[in-house]
Amino acid sequence: MDCTRQEFMAIATGRELKDGELAIFGVGLSMLAGYFAKKNHAPNLRAFTEGGVFGSTPVGGLPWGIECTRLSANATSFTGALDALGFLVASGRCDVAIIGAAQIDKYGNVNTTGIWREPPWKAGRYAPPRVRLNGSGGANDIAVGAKRFIIMAAHDKKRFAERVDYISSPGYLSGGDARERAGFIGGGPSAIITTLGILRPHPVSKEFYLDAYFPFSSVEEIREHTGWDLKVSANVRVVPEPTEQELANLRAVDSTGSLRKK
Amino acid sequence: MTNKLITLAQAVARYTWDGMTYAHGAAFPVGADSVVFGREMARQGRRGLNLISHCGSQQLNLLAALGAVRRVEVGFSGLEVYGFAKGLNRAVVSGQTIIEDYSNGAMALRFLGGALNWPFVPATVCLNNDQQWCSGDHPDEYPCARKIPEITDPFSGKKLGAFSVLRPQVAAIHVTMADMEGNAIMLGSEWSRFEMARAAGQVVLVAERIVDQGCMRQYPNLVRIISEVVEAIVYWPWAAWPQSVVGLYDSDEEHMLLMNDMLATAEGTAQYLERYVRAFQTRAEFQALIGPEKMDRLAATATAFLMDPYRRWILPDDQIAALEQEG
Repeated sequence: MDCTRQEFMAIATGRELKDGELAIFGVGLSMLAGYFAKKNHAPNLRAFTEGGVFGSTPVGGLPWGIECTRLSANATSFTGALDALGFLVASGRCDVAIIGAAQIDKYGNVNTTGIWREPPWKAGRYAPPRVRLNGSGGANDIAVGAKRFIIMAAHDKKRFAERVDYISSPGYLSGGDARERAGFIGGGPSAIITTLGILRPHPVSKEFYLDAYFPFSSVEEIREHTGWDLKVSANVRVVPEPTEQELANLRAVDSTGSLRKK
Repeated sequence: MTNKLITLAQAVARYTWDGMTYAHGAAFPVGADSVVFGREMARQGRRGLNLISHCGSQQLNLLAALGAVRRVEVGFSGLEVYGFAKGLNRAVVSGQTIIEDYSNGAMALRFLGGALNWPFVPATVCLNNDQQWCSGDHPDEYPCARKIPEITDPFSGKKLGAFSVLRPQVAAIHVTMADMEGNAIMLGSEWSRFEMARAAGQVVLVAERIVDQGCMRQYPNLVRIISEVVEAIVYWPWAAWPQSVVGLYDSDEEHMLLMNDMLATAEGTAQYLERYVRAFQTRAEFQALIGPEKMDRLAATATAFLMDPYRRWILPDDQIAALEQEG
């Protein structure tokens, strides 16, 4: 199958979404994966952005932003942040979300804020970072409030860390019942979909393990590219290749080919 | 009817000062923002600013790149698909600009709290993670207990976070159209501009179009910013360029990247200041910087039809110029 790893990741992510769900997507790849699902197998998916753009599908290729003109040409409603992130997410109404990550740990905590020479938790102080990223945006609200969320990330050792430098958006915090004790309304991350495979949380420890790998990858390659001692499911499987139809539907959404850049 | 139209240069001279707390609004980094107001603040040399950026945009990127931002509170500081805001990031990494991170939802709630004159806002976001524990104002305290202190819900006994409210001294808010009194309609996501307009001490609108008040009388439900809270109005088409404005123009990919690359260095920023800030004073000079060919292309946005209901009320430039002289 002639498709890129990014496309494989987007299709595997889209497969996690079910028809009829209320869904919120972040900017970029998350949005392509989400709108692929709507076009491919979930026509009744109700999608919105954190800016409160409802009922739209992108025109002209990958939207530049989550409420830009490419996403606002066929909306049924425009509202705002309190409506989208408050009344629909913080209230617990939102079924599913897709967010990205610059750094991610074994409990699904996400860092999109910065990279430090010595992270704040280690240094005991909050010095300026070595690299400033973007901050959480609405991903923190989504990670706290959505019933479940899916994390998309390129799979490499630097990103998949034993402990993230900074928790911007919470997964299962320190694992076990830590998230439950924090009292968040949403259920937490249900999967991490990477450019190599799919990780899922253990039901009790909440540590992410390898559930499946892409046909071009392997258990060894994924373990090698993960910064913690990644456990592997006894029933680890190969993710089915994208079908012709899935790929055609993804490329129809990604008409500017942003996922085809290798 | 009061006429609140004044020129861009007048508005910045009258409503901004060094060391002020300034909010710009904004419907996301690639969306409607009063970017041109920030350009004029840069031209007039404002320094030591305390910004409230919900979200960041090229305005924050420019002012921070110039070293004009002492501190910024932000939900998202990047430029969406255009990547990290290189000018801001340079200022943050060097320690020149203090950054306080919150979630986007928390920023909206904090504006709401400011608008309602609440002492603080309770919420469950940003808790048990580094947005609560890391404070740019108190870098030596980790985990910081002062940024988002934990409180107890007096009814359920559950733990919550207490968020300080936002009350910017001035907000420059981008709107699609306004009448000369300051009633305004925003097409596209309003993001937190409704709350921001009511939380700010003074509001200056930056309007892409000035319309006859008949427009507001036809669509009063759509008027989400009312004249009551507005001090002044600046008329400036392409005010958000190179970002996009729903109904009017697409994002200018070329300039978004060029601007961000130039702001990545002090030398590039100095050049940007000469070429795209000091190089214009009038609307015509500004539009010449964008160029007629590009303006035509960007204005052919798939959202242009959204302006159709309002076109009959749009005032011509010469009439607006006359109103500005009176204002």
